Amino acid sequence: MTPHSSAAPSGAVRAHDARPAPAGAAHEATPPAGTAGSPMIDGTTGRPAKTAPARRARRLPLPGGLFAALPLFLVIGLAFGLPALAMTDGAFTLADGSYGLDNLSRSVDGAYRTALLGSIELSALTAAGGTLFGLLLAQAVVSSRGRALREAVLTASGVLANFGGVPLAFAFVATLGNAGVLTTSLGLGDHGWSLYSFWGLALTYLYFLVPLMVLTVAPALDGLRVQWREAARDCGASARQYWRHVGLPVLLPSLLGGFVLLFGSAFAAYATAAAMVGSSVPLVTLQIADALSGNVLVGQENVALALSLDMVVVAALVMAVHLPLQRRSTRWLA
Amino acid sequence: MTVLDQPVRTGAALSIRGLRRSFGSAVALDGLDLDVAPGELLALLGPSGCGKTTALRVLGGFEKPDEGQVLLDGEDIVPVAAERRDTAMVFQSYSLFPHLTAADNVAFGLRMRKVRTAERRARAAELLELVGLAGHGDRFPHQLSGGQQQRVALARALALRPRLLLLDEPLSALDARVRLTLREEIRRLQLELGITTVFVTHDQEEALSMADRVAVMNGGRLEQCASPTELYERPATDFVAEFIGTMNRIPGRADGDGTVDVLGVRLPVEGPAGSGPVTALVRPEALEIEAADGGTGRIVATAFHGPTTRVRVALADGTDVKADVPTHAAAALTPGTAVTVRPRQRPVVLAAAGGAR
Amino acid sequence: MARLGRPLVLLLAGIYFLVPLLASTVFTVNIPGQGVTLSSYTRIFTAPGFTGSLLLSLGLAAATVALVLLITVPAAVAARLSAPRLRPVLEVVCTLPLVVPPVALTAGLGTVLRWGPEKLSTTPLYQTFVAVQNPDFPLVLVLAYAVMALPFVYRALDAGLRSVDVRTLVEAARDCGASWPRALVSAVLPNLRGTLLNASFLTLALVLGEFTVASLLGFRPFAVWMVQASGSDARLSVAVSLLSLLLTWVLLLALTTVGNRRRTPRSSRTFEVPAASQGKTSR
Repeated sequence: MTPHSSAAPSGAVRAHDARPAPAGAAHEATPPAGTAGSPMIDGTTGRPAKTAPARRARRLPLPGGLFAALPLFLVIGLAFGLPALAMTDGAFTLADGSYGLDNLSRSVDGAYRTALLGSIELSALTAAGGTLFGLLLAQAVVSSRGRALREAVLTASGVLANFGGVPLAFAFVATLGNAGVLTTSLGLGDHGWSLYSFWGLALTYLYFLVPLMVLTVAPALDGLRVQWREAARDCGASARQYWRHVGLPVLLPSLLGGFVLLFGSAFAAYATAAAMVGSSVPLVTLQIADALSGNVLVGQENVALALSLDMVVVAALVMAVHLPLQRRSTRWLA
Repeated sequence: MTVLDQPVRTGAALSIRGLRRSFGSAVALDGLDLDVAPGELLALLGPSGCGKTTALRVLGGFEKPDEGQVLLDGEDIVPVAAERRDTAMVFQSYSLFPHLTAADNVAFGLRMRKVRTAERRARAAELLELVGLAGHGDRFPHQLSGGQQQRVALARALALRPRLLLLDEPLSALDARVRLTLREEIRRLQLELGITTVFVTHDQEEALSMADRVAVMNGGRLEQCASPTELYERPATDFVAEFIGTMNRIPGRADGDGTVDVLGVRLPVEGPAGSGPVTALVRPEALEIEAADGGTGRIVATAFHGPTTRVRVALADGTDVKADVPTHAAAALTPGTAVTVRPRQRPVVLAAAGGAR
Repeated sequence: MARLGRPLVLLLAGIYFLVPLLASTVFTVNIPGQGVTLSSYTRIFTAPGFTGSLLLSLGLAAATVALVLLITVPAAVAARLSAPRLRPVLEVVCTLPLVVPPVALTAGLGTVLRWGPEKLSTTPLYQTFVAVQNPDFPLVLVLAYAVMALPFVYRALDAGLRSVDVRTLVEAARDCGASWPRALVSAVLPNLRGTLLNASFLTLALVLGEFTVASLLGFRPFAVWMVQASGSDARLSVAVSLLSLLLTWVLLLALTTVGNRRRTPRSSRTFEVPAASQGKTSR
């Protein structure tokens, strides 16, 4: 059928078609579906319209896109590639100059093993805590009507997520350290409290991990559409069933992605721990630093490099989990 | 046991009584009364902000009215929570659960009711076939086009065999072409299943072409509820006359005997006529144009609309009118041509007193 | 969330996040035996090493911002405009530094730097090795920080480029007779101002707070000085910590205000804190 023969009064109606259509009903804040309308969009890449300009792009006469990226590759190669190579090379180089796996096996043994496990344990624990509290806080903020509260918490999160390192350590020392204000005024020391311990460090790490999680998960919570909740209710789902079958599963990639991001952050953290606990808590970053600054036996440098390689492997695993999760989350919640 | 084997369940009769709802100082529903017969498709039509969406959301249980009743087969469902109502809604867009396949989306309500997996699958497959998506059950929403997504949403809404189907501008986010086919299909399904349906739209062509009756709303009130033809031919209020289609407002004189003089032609009046100066409401297709030297009007512009051509004429008294002429007859009608304009011999509606602008 | 849960969560969060700040403030102004005094703050500027380390950090920050923008902006713009196949490559390359924690990067850097004296002492390259490690202005830190900032800067840039239609801007400028470089400088960069500010802030915050690489390589910028000073004067270093937090806050607020003013009402709904979609690396 042609578009003209559909309705009896179509001629008369047509004039009205030119009226600007109301942009969605009042209760609905989501943008109109720009791309969802066209009939056969490739779901994975989204926009068929993109191909034409992309092809045209190659004909644009900017000489050498590669040329423009050359300085970047140069710096990366010099300041990142070279050290990475040196690290890998050193990790496999034995005391007599030959190659072997001794350093690596020593790096996952004895005190180093304890440190590696300690780091993983601390990171996993604080990441889990940060994920949980960050989610609760973000949900409390996102579900509130007040814009002021929302913006205040998000801005504060932006600052505090960056408030790592040395200043954070000192703030906690001043608060909960041996001479800290809370410790002395509440007599925490008598109850066996020590900031310079695993749990003290965990409490401190949460101070930047929770805000980091808030920043990560708040957009995802915003992305949970009202229509999903209503459609679920429409299908007879209670509030609990909605969260169990829709809300949490949809958030899951963001939550997992946030968790591994937090894990990676905590795992790589060095300054906070170094400024706060010295080396009284076994952590892999502290071990590497000790070995590098020659605080331990001479000739341990290559074990430090092997430990670094261990860290890289863990961090690479984290990224390998994080990136696909993030991609999926964006696809669902965009 | 399948969906289709069952005897068609007749839709419920819906009655809306004195519905009021305001948001702060904004009144969304200002005493709405409506009746929908079992199996009927009623379109709620109006400009944005007229309360049509609020009305639909009250029916679905997503808004509580401040006052009034919603009777489904005589039972007031206002106190019933949305998840316990026998109503199902198809949303504007984006309402499919993104982490579930099309089949799982359709079967979601059955899963909430703890229906066995095998049965769920079978029903989901049937429903998907019903909406023309057989074999698409394994796709995720982002792998479906907008039109396909809305078909899945429709199947999901039908899965629990609702007594009342609510459609909230389900086509507004789609391409014109997809919109047309889906429009027909929704209507076919609705007739086939005999399900009472309320359809919210701001697109009058959609409303007029699909619905048994159209309720035109404005400012939270019902302006007129009638069949599409009735609405078009005999708008009850000025608002409806203006909102539906294109309407010329031509000054005329009522003679007190039930007729009116419009552009020199005497026409019978539909409804109360009165006497004295009036404004006659005349559709563009009810006007005839003839090129004539010394005519009363001059063509300002023409626009090609396929089988007809719309001609805009400035009359000598300053009135601007639009007339539809068959395109084959429009060739001579170029801008600047002097013409005479005459209404065809058919009953004419008068604008309400004081309604003239 | 339950009606009671939300206030409870907000209350607990308020306590957890505010108490350390308040307690630290009390710690710095309330000195046993002396009562309330601001001496911890007034002493800062005369503290030995403060000015030198702060200036060093600021210098490093400026150099790093310049370097990182100079290398990423052309690459990112080129990837958008003329070499779409460059984009995935850039994305991978700019993600790589996230995989190597700063401690590990430092371990590798230290190894490379040790090659200098060991293997190159007879070649002119040796002078280069000495120069990059000049304690007055260690270029090696600039390089390391540029690498560490790269992932965040690139992401910010990529997002910024996505929101302005670079191609149309350049084509319009070219239509008006601008040369390629002129088109970039006069049409594209002004529209990226918010993005560039954002990226600069990220880098600045990272460099000013960076401790790991500097301390392990034996340099003494601001954060390292703080730790060294804390040994002799704990109150002073806590005071400096609070001030640096305040400074971050002010900078971020300024940036957010600038950023939000430049956005349309709709996009400001997805309120974005510029500084920190990712954690930074200076812990």
